[in-house]
Amino acid sequence: MRDLPSGPRLLALARDVLLHDLMPLLPSEAHLDARLVANSMAIAEREASAGEESAQGIFDDLEKLYGDAGSGGPELLARLAHDLRVGAFELSEQRERDARRIMWRLTIAELRSANPRFLNANGLS
Amino acid sequence: MARFLATASGADAVEITGFTPLRGGAIQENWALDARFSGRALSGEQRLVLRTAAPTGVTASLGRIEEFAVLKAAFAAGVTVPAPLWATDDPQIMGKPFFVMSRIDGTAAAHRITRDRALDPALPAIAERLGCELARIHTIRPPRADLAFLAPYEKVGPAQQIATFRAYLDRHPAPRPVLEWGIRWLETHVPPPTDPVLCHRDFRTGNYMLNGAVLTGILDWEFAGWGDPHEDIGWFCSKGWRFARLDREAGGIAERSPFYRGYESEAGRSVDPQRVFFWEVLASVRWAVIALQQSDRYMIAGERNLDLALTGRRATECELEILMLLDTGGAPRGA
Repeated sequence: MRDLPSGPRLLALARDVLLHDLMPLLPSEAHLDARLVANSMAIAEREASAGEESAQGIFDDLEKLYGDAGSGGPELLARLAHDLRVGAFELSEQRERDARRIMWRLTIAELRSANPRFLNANGLS
Repeated sequence: MARFLATASGADAVEITGFTPLRGGAIQENWALDARFSGRALSGEQRLVLRTAAPTGVTASLGRIEEFAVLKAAFAAGVTVPAPLWATDDPQIMGKPFFVMSRIDGTAAAHRITRDRALDPALPAIAERLGCELARIHTIRPPRADLAFLAPYEKVGPAQQIATFRAYLDRHPAPRPVLEWGIRWLETHVPPPTDPVLCHRDFRTGNYMLNGAVLTGILDWEFAGWGDPHEDIGWFCSKGWRFARLDREAGGIAERSPFYRGYESEAGRSVDPQRVFFWEVLASVRWAVIALQQSDRYMIAGERNLDLALTGRRATECELEILMLLDTGGAPRGA
């Protein structure tokens, strides 16, 4: 249990203050850095808000793909990366499809935090 | 510095009147250098750029002396570039090698170029001109004694690039399944070898300067090397370099057709879309690896630079593009 306002809400407010109150006071050569700071805060805010839910969903898919509930998610992710490198799913259409689904989920989940605008611009959300 | 400039230029004396950092080069440092020359060979105020290495860099880039030689070759081939002037590796002057070139006017700011509505009507012609410029770069072919330091094509072709990507991922702390999948596709779809040309290897929006609608120079030659001409075309068109206009496939500024037309008319040979596709997939993998290497400069080398740190997060944008290029069925429902 954490106190309120939550970390993500504080970050959102701090970012708003940076962009709307502080930015006009900064010399123009500092604007790019200020925007980078604001962008970093937005990523941190979205990551904190998303929590571990999407990562857990991906780990569940990995457990299903490998029929392995014993290994941890990060270990299975490394195994997936290795198997994709050596083409391990290329002889099984179903497993290939399952692996691709995990890759899409991973990528979309990451972009929801890192760059949702890019996701939208590509017709995804 | 003034003594170096005087000796290199043949001037009687040089007075430095300005030396300020230019923003933009993530891998190299660029300085606006203003100097007053007096004497027979060169006289008057000169607006110059001094280019040297940043404190940490990415391993694939050339040294400044080599980059200067490439710039000279491009200049001689009729490519629109800042005039290459002088270079030195004498550590007494700046502590590291550097070269000096003329300072050209305009902006290379890719977001501004791809967003500026006033520029829109001129962009197809700029894309055509860029195609023409690229074809001129590709007239430079091995063997060249002045470019003997460039690795032979056999050592920098697709197979070697794939091996380099994998070696990097082996050192990277986090698994990257999509990059592994993309690299596997590349490995199984390598096109037949071709006669190599000089590739710029970073020919894209953001690396050319526009003064209004006039192209004033192609910049940043640090990645140049022998390669398949389609490599530069794929890089220019890849989504990672379209900035504010993902829909304009030629560098975010135009459709592919004017860019290809400019290239084909100058080169006298056709662009092969299949080869471009291969290199476009490779471009997404390569840009992802570069993005991760940029953030390594903060994460591992400790360079305090927020821009570089954030660049690492862009690797996932490349991974989305790899999925969109190679899995044409699109994202599964619920993904």
